[in-house]
Amino acid sequence: MSTQTAPVVRARSLSKTYGRGEAVVRALDGVDVDFEQGRFTAIMGPSGSGKSTLMHLLAGLDSASGGQVFLGETEITGLGDKALTRLRRDRVGFVFQQFNLLPMFTAEQNITLPVELAGGKVDRAWLGTLVETLGLGGRLTHRPGELSGGQQQRVAIARALIAQPEVVFADEPTGNLDSRSGAEVLSFLRRSVRELGRTIIMVTHDPSAAAYADRVVLIADGKIAGDISDPTPESAMAGLDALRTLEPAVTTGRTGA
Amino acid sequence: MTATTTPPTTTPVVSTDSTPALGGGSRYPTARLTLGQMRRSTGRLAAAGIAILISTAFVTVTLLVGNIVTSTTYDQVSARYADADLVVSHSSWELTPEDAEAAGAVDGVAAVQAQQTYFTELSRGGKVVYQSIAAHPADERLSPLRLAEGDWPQGQTDIALPTDVAERLGLGVGDTVNANRWIVDPEPEVQEDGSTWYDNQEVTEKLTVTGLVEDPYQAYALTGGMAVVSAATLDQWVADDSGPDSSPTYDALLVALDDPAALEEARQALAEAVPSATDVLTTQEYAEQVVAEMSGGQNIVFLVFVLAFAGVALVVAGLVIANTFQVLVAQRSRMLALLRCIGADTGQLYRSVLLEAAILGLIASVAGVVLGALLVQAGLLVAPSFDLGVPLPGTISLNAAVVLVPLAVGVLVTLVAAVTPARAASRVAPLAALRPSDAPTLRGAGKVRAVLATLLTVGGVALLVGGMAMGRTGQADLGILAAVLGGSVSLVGVIVGAVFWLPRVAGAFGRLVGTSGPAARLAAANTQRNPRRTAATATALLIGVTLVSMMTTGAASARVTLDQELDAQYPVDLQVGTTSSDDEGNPSAMPGDVTDAVRGVGDLRAVAEVTTYVAETTDEEVVPVVAATPEALTSVLNTPEGAEGFGPGTLLVPAGVAKNYGLEGRDTITLSGPAGEVTLDVVPSDLRTHDAFLTPLDLAAITPAVAPNALWAGVADGADVAATVAALQDAVSATEEAVEISGAVVEREAYQQVIDVILGIVVGLLAVAVVIALIGVANTLSLSVIERTRENAMLRAIGLTTGQLRGTLAVEGMLIAGVGAVLGIVLGLVYGWAGATAALGNVGTVPFVVPWAEVGVMLAVALVAGLVASVVPARAAVRTRPVAALAAE
Repeated sequence: MSTQTAPVVRARSLSKTYGRGEAVVRALDGVDVDFEQGRFTAIMGPSGSGKSTLMHLLAGLDSASGGQVFLGETEITGLGDKALTRLRRDRVGFVFQQFNLLPMFTAEQNITLPVELAGGKVDRAWLGTLVETLGLGGRLTHRPGELSGGQQQRVAIARALIAQPEVVFADEPTGNLDSRSGAEVLSFLRRSVRELGRTIIMVTHDPSAAAYADRVVLIADGKIAGDISDPTPESAMAGLDALRTLEPAVTTGRTGA
Repeated sequence: MTATTTPPTTTPVVSTDSTPALGGGSRYPTARLTLGQMRRSTGRLAAAGIAILISTAFVTVTLLVGNIVTSTTYDQVSARYADADLVVSHSSWELTPEDAEAAGAVDGVAAVQAQQTYFTELSRGGKVVYQSIAAHPADERLSPLRLAEGDWPQGQTDIALPTDVAERLGLGVGDTVNANRWIVDPEPEVQEDGSTWYDNQEVTEKLTVTGLVEDPYQAYALTGGMAVVSAATLDQWVADDSGPDSSPTYDALLVALDDPAALEEARQALAEAVPSATDVLTTQEYAEQVVAEMSGGQNIVFLVFVLAFAGVALVVAGLVIANTFQVLVAQRSRMLALLRCIGADTGQLYRSVLLEAAILGLIASVAGVVLGALLVQAGLLVAPSFDLGVPLPGTISLNAAVVLVPLAVGVLVTLVAAVTPARAASRVAPLAALRPSDAPTLRGAGKVRAVLATLLTVGGVALLVGGMAMGRTGQADLGILAAVLGGSVSLVGVIVGAVFWLPRVAGAFGRLVGTSGPAARLAAANTQRNPRRTAATATALLIGVTLVSMMTTGAASARVTLDQELDAQYPVDLQVGTTSSDDEGNPSAMPGDVTDAVRGVGDLRAVAEVTTYVAETTDEEVVPVVAATPEALTSVLNTPEGAEGFGPGTLLVPAGVAKNYGLEGRDTITLSGPAGEVTLDVVPSDLRTHDAFLTPLDLAAITPAVAPNALWAGVADGADVAATVAALQDAVSATEEAVEISGAVVEREAYQQVIDVILGIVVGLLAVAVVIALIGVANTLSLSVIERTRENAMLRAIGLTTGQLRGTLAVEGMLIAGVGAVLGIVLGLVYGWAGATAALGNVGTVPFVVPWAEVGVMLAVALVAGLVASVVPARAAVRTRPVAALAAE
């Protein structure tokens, strides 16, 4: 990717601490990072590096101890719960490691749920596009229990994209999948970015997953520790290894993947 | 523990979760495990515990109130024997006046009083009191009554009245009162076949009120008080009443001694003097014996009656508990599997759940007993501010049964409810620990259950229908039995089968509300996720609501039937007649001031002047007739359609009158009298009066000028009947004319009051079960919230507002409660109607009456309660931060 587009998500001096006094843990320590629109970015780091915390703050799921996060022109640090809920509903999508589909709803009902919660009307054409892109044709009437893990995660991706959010956050989306399904899901995520023009920020600890992204942001010990463009599994692995050599046995963080 | 893998008695709890092991007790790993788990689930167990607490408190209250009734009864009974020293008793009422004399002749006996009560009708003006009367004893010690004013009665026409009776009749000392009694002729009539019988006649005497008595120990509080006449008068009345061939017999002689200390000698001497006596007892012994006989009857009935409702509450509590434990076990399945992996055997897991139930049951039952005792004590504290007319003890008296029975029942119900969940716990496979446990699901319901439920329901319904058929054909006793049995069996069938159909009904309801928005749709879908739990929760509510709805419907149906029947039975509400006769033997004319007084009474729908007369037919049969204009008759009848076709030139002949006076099958009847003859067309009627009707003009054709001699009145719909009758009595007695008031309206009002009071009590008792069931709804919702923490967090993450989350839970609570209530109401309507048909089918057609007001209240209560039940769980749910959805395990 050569064309630099405007950043859709920005973090400025972002920090997050847990506990107080002597027991204080700095999960994030003054992070500055931009994420461009229309790109697939991976945030990678070892366990306890603070990558999940970073994502929670970027998505407005958790409150920061200091610094700012912007989604487009909106500063989301400092928004109240109501405004954050609206923001998540209308402008942000999520893909979870555990899929988190509602077992009592069909695949289609799961996909359209965010639009319904917002009281909106489902864009059938867009739904059709998503279903085709994600290879879910013929599965829409199935319940999650009748779908494979990979299929469930594809349903979850469709759910994250249905409201056409400005950015989708994916938290270890392949963590619960075998390698073949994982590869499939990652290809779908990449297709969503390349063919549908979406923006995806993915947290992972897996270099081969990170290699599907356009860019890898490395994080260690609560700080940005590197940035790799157009990664390959090898370059991502090398970056991760470099972190490990520099920061041996990081164990303080409370957030784990 | 089978010690094949890890050392069994080290800390399995610590190794699987963060609960610290309780110190010491390594010899009881199960107990330690149980206590650890209970501490983790305190909130959930507390909710289940409340269900048991309420039920045991109910049982405790019932037993305590039963004890108070018994002791109050004892106090009242023993008060009747006043300060008598000994009681000579006979179990089958065979003591004679001679025995009384013999007892009186015994050395050291100061006085003897035979226990004898006479009943008479006292009246003044239009007011009548049916009064029990006892003799004034020779010794004051033998009567609990005390003179409040005036003197004890001495002469043949003296009487002392209870103060409240005197007040009711508007009497004071020195006033006179009319007493009606029957006198049997001294000479027998001899029949043609040689058999003899005694004729009798009713006499009215004027008695003088010499004094007013009060009853300080409330000995006769429940029997309308006791009037007193002299011993000689009472003997005379009893003799007059029973005729020359029989003499009075008594069940007890009260004995006062000169020296109460010489009890034993006197007892011996009395036993010898009255050899036929069953016993010579002290007053205390005798009172105990009498109360014991009573307890064998009504007290036991009372206890069984109320305990049946406590039983319903316990069953509902059992459902709530079973439900809670099932969920607890499901939630712990992963940990249970881990325990299996490290060597716990199935028995240990089974016992651990049962032990948990036992501890919960015990704690909740103890609290329930304490609560019940406190409630009754509080009741006793406020009771004196209501005038109950019964002396109540100031404090409750606890005994072993009152404490131990509720405890045992509470623990037992909890244990029984936990058996199935305990078995489920012991069946968790060790391998389950290694699998991701996302949604723990219980086994689906089996085929056995389906077959059993179908058999019970179908069989029960068949019995119920049979019972209704028997009721319609007049076998009410058998019909009720079959209906109750059929109803119970089918209800059990419905409950057992609820897991199959109830969730589907909930789903249908859910689809209805689901159209209103995504939160409602989520809620509707959530009720379908664990059919068994939804079914159990709704069923707990269904039981209570079914019974409440059944009682109200039954009462409503019964009331309509009885109303129709009473209307037919007593076509006229109130009748005012004169008590004297004119020269020809016809009742005297109604005085004009009485007519004016009656017309002046408010709340009367209509007042008709009528003339009663006994007419003769040309073939010398007699017919009692009433002359009234068609308009007046129609206005005053409760069943005006019975007077259809009545007019000038007709004789309205009710079927009963036709049968009694041989007028069946006649088209015309010619009546004759002093003034001539008149031929009238017969108009048959289904009125149930004892007279035929003709117009005043037609009556004038056979007899010269008979003035109206009676007034018939109808009470307006919705009027306070008792107040109307009292107003009528007051109005009539103010005229001081000799008239009497009779009518079915009071009796009818009494029927309705009985139905209303019983209904109120029953519904109140059943409400306890409904309250417990609603706790169950709250419990289920809390458990759902805990189970769905991750899911709710995910929904919050993708844009569910806190308001929507609250709404989802509110709708879920209202759906479960609403479905339970609606189904319960429908079942109750059918049961209530079926029961009323079985019981009253032979009285009249029992219409299917829906008590809309009550149904509305029940539904509203259930929905509001479902809503309220969701508040606390919702508060917990909205605290869940969206980020929890991203946490892995």
